[in-house]
Amino acid sequence: MNFLTASIESLGAKVVGWFTVGYAMFAFLAKAGLLLLDRTTWNRATFDVVVKQVYFTAVQILPVFLGYALVISWLIITIILSTARDFGLTAFASEMTIRVLVLELLPFLTALFIALRSGSAINTEVALMQVNNELDALAHCKVPPMQFEFLPRLIGGVVSVVILAGLAGLLALLMGYLTIYGMSTAGFEPYTQTIAKIFDFTIMAGLLVKCALFGLAVTLIPVTAGLETPKKLFMVPVSVLRGMMRVFFAIVTIEVVSLALKYI
Amino acid sequence: MAAVAVLPDDVARVALDLPLRANLSALENIALIPLYQRHYNAVESTRQAQAMLDQLDHTEIALLRDSDMTPAQRFVTKLARALILKRPRLVIDRPGAMLYDVPYPAFIDQLASQADMTGTWEIYDFSWNQVLYNQALHSE
Repeated sequence: MNFLTASIESLGAKVVGWFTVGYAMFAFLAKAGLLLLDRTTWNRATFDVVVKQVYFTAVQILPVFLGYALVISWLIITIILSTARDFGLTAFASEMTIRVLVLELLPFLTALFIALRSGSAINTEVALMQVNNELDALAHCKVPPMQFEFLPRLIGGVVSVVILAGLAGLLALLMGYLTIYGMSTAGFEPYTQTIAKIFDFTIMAGLLVKCALFGLAVTLIPVTAGLETPKKLFMVPVSVLRGMMRVFFAIVTIEVVSLALKYI
Repeated sequence: MAAVAVLPDDVARVALDLPLRANLSALENIALIPLYQRHYNAVESTRQAQAMLDQLDHTEIALLRDSDMTPAQRFVTKLARALILKRPRLVIDRPGAMLYDVPYPAFIDQLASQADMTGTWEIYDFSWNQVLYNQALHSE
């Protein structure tokens, strides 16, 4: 009986914990959203921090990221092409390539890339700011942390994931053409027609929303996980661990929901 | 001492529990105030921050980050940040906890003589450190 009570209590505590975390995240998002609509937020200082965030998150890693996207794209395209040849489905190779790479795999890998590189850094930095009282110091000086520290990170994350996924997609389209048709221009018409057939308004809007949600997940979750950190230095690694696990689950959930909406 | 932490909004505090932003230089830490509070542009905010450091005779620390500063340099940056807030009262909370590398009553006295500030400076310190302030006064 005691075991049953303890199990129910433990489960209840976990559910309450999930709701508390979820509520804190959505409350933070609502606050950020309201601030985003406030005209006074958009001063030169905030804009400068946003530009700096986009530079750190997207521009700084561009050569490495494009190299990585190129290798992944080439590998996947080669696998799809050789499998399609084996099964006599060459006519569908370009469509399969675009659907698998541009719509699904590259945005997902971009989000993972940004999460591992910037999300973990954001989580650690916010947790350290919380532990070291830096947020209290900013509040004492009446420098709004949301405007100065958090909102630019959220915007930077969304903009970076959308831009990087877009660039990787364009690179994959180019690689796809070169791998399927080589340097010949003969395949230009069927290839562009396939692209036009796939990328209708709904698919484009869905892709944009998915990338934006990925960008939000890789920044919002680390920020809120960092803010939850108790003021104890040894809790910083725990905070990063929790934050990154939540980011991973959020990215997978977004991808699964997107796939379900598209194909089921 | 807990009372110091709940002082009203018109008090600028210099305290161990109000650290600098670790990833910003001394100049950027100070320039944040005119930038976000008084909405000056970045150039003007940096100019005001530099002027404050010049006034405190610590021009050379402008580009240092918190981890590269000595305790005295860190204190000067915090003081400059508090001064640029332009609040009527300035409270230095337990200076001995921040200024353990210099004889601090004399150091603060020297900074106070350089800083051009309207308003009052108050120091909250442990009673057993009174003797240090007496020594500083007698040596003048």
